[in-house]
Amino acid sequence: MKPRLPAGAALLAALLAMATPALAQRDAQPTPPPQPGPALAAEIAQPSIAVDTAFSGANLLVFGATDRLLGPAGDNVVILGIGPARDVVVRRRVKRLGIWVNGAAARFREVPNYYALASTAPVAGLLEEAARRERRLGLDMLTARIPGPRDPAFRQALIELKQGSEQWNEEEAPVEVSGGRLFHARLPLPSTIATGDYVVQVLLVRANRIIARQELPFRVDRVGATARIADVSRDHPLLYGLACIGLAALAGWLGSVIFRRG
Amino acid sequence: MSVYLPIAEMSVDALLLLSIGLGVGWLSGLFGVGGGFLLTPLLILIGIPAPVAVASGANQTIGASVSGLIAQWRRGNVDPRMGAVLLVAGLAGSAAGTQLFVFLRSLGQIDLAVSLFYVVVLGTVGALMVRESVRAILRRRHAKPARTHQHSWLHGLPFKMRFRKSRLYISVIPPMLVGFGIGILSAIMGVGGGFMLVPAMIYLLGMPTGTTIGTSLFQVTFVSANVTLLQALQTGSVDIVLTLLLLAGGVAGAQFGAAMGSRLRGEETRALLGLLVLAVAARLLWDLLQTPGSLYFLGPAT
Repeated sequence: MKPRLPAGAALLAALLAMATPALAQRDAQPTPPPQPGPALAAEIAQPSIAVDTAFSGANLLVFGATDRLLGPAGDNVVILGIGPARDVVVRRRVKRLGIWVNGAAARFREVPNYYALASTAPVAGLLEEAARRERRLGLDMLTARIPGPRDPAFRQALIELKQGSEQWNEEEAPVEVSGGRLFHARLPLPSTIATGDYVVQVLLVRANRIIARQELPFRVDRVGATARIADVSRDHPLLYGLACIGLAALAGWLGSVIFRRG
Repeated sequence: MSVYLPIAEMSVDALLLLSIGLGVGWLSGLFGVGGGFLLTPLLILIGIPAPVAVASGANQTIGASVSGLIAQWRRGNVDPRMGAVLLVAGLAGSAAGTQLFVFLRSLGQIDLAVSLFYVVVLGTVGALMVRESVRAILRRRHAKPARTHQHSWLHGLPFKMRFRKSRLYISVIPPMLVGFGIGILSAIMGVGGGFMLVPAMIYLLGMPTGTTIGTSLFQVTFVSANVTLLQALQTGSVDIVLTLLLLAGGVAGAQFGAAMGSRLRGEETRALLGLLVLAVAARLLWDLLQTPGSLYFLGPAT
């Protein structure tokens, strides 16, 4: 994983930044009043994810610090990653004349292609249902808000299929806390991730209420040869088709020259 | 080593694609067919979306057949006139087939349609090939001379044309129908159609074996080029990275397969190919009949 080094350095810098005022407080004899800093400071390791020919998925490091202690007795951090929305169709297979064919379909509109939720403690115990529903915290809350047919079987199938393809995940790994106030989490980005604008929301929860919130946007982009191939295919399909024919013919001819026996 | 496919929008193991290409190339060299009928189902099996598998399968077929075509052309085994007739009908057929593909995709039934076409076409062709080759083997054992050329009602049709290389004087209607039908199938199944064309030329048109392979390669090369172009224009699902990885393994495999194939007798080769075709059909039929792992699946909104 390439981005590990800068992310580690950034984490270290954040750690130092948090540690310095604490040290200053202890050393200075007439204790000055503590600086009223932000309750929450969070950052992501990479503002853009590059999908190149060797891309096979990535982890996005989200890290930060809070002004009060995190933990069962104190504050909690909830991290939510959401990707661009697209309409999707869930189809049910039915048996007709002995074979399985595509039957009824349910169209869901504006479905985020990516969803990841992580927190320091199970979200269901941190916030009331109304707040979770509003912030889409939890796959059940997310799908309940997506416009589409009401049939719960299709909504459940949508959750299972998206989880199966690793594009949606909730609370699979907790947000790690170190030193009481530093937190970090890795949001898994699968190899099938779509390009576009993503946003990570970091929420600070205190006494069943969200008291601070930070939005960290990032992009997923194709780069290099992958980007050029996809662009040409979309913008100049005739040129692309002719190039595919030419390249395949050339490869076939080259193969017959190289591997000709005798 | 994984490689990201730009059009399929997924990451796959490059070595897996190379070895699929090598294996299919070896079999296609052994049996003298493009191998698309094996390749497209295999790609769908490893999780490539059906439209990308079909379109890239057609693209791969160009590369697989072009080297064979060059070799056959040099030996004078291509009947250009028969090839042209088949091709004109084949281009029309593949254009119609691509429209049908787009229509089936809009219905959300493209995966099912591709599977059904495979089961029916491969089942029929495989059964015919096995039956014919077993008969030929038995006939050889009993040393009965076979008739090379039989006259049927097909020879009574109008618009007769002379095909000098194939030593035929027949109506252009049967070759036109054969070319058109195989053009449709090649667009939907992502295959060149060599495994259907060769028997059709021998048994329906009565062409001599010598010119069938070369002429079918001629037709297959151009029809799959047309399918590739139409798929690129209409569905945008040709993945050139996938195609080239498959070809890298495929062209190597084909040469070794061809070297081995020349040591096998014609009837035995055809019987083996027929069994292989039947096995693929049976596997796909099994997938349609057994209860799927998930009763639901996800598709893009069309």
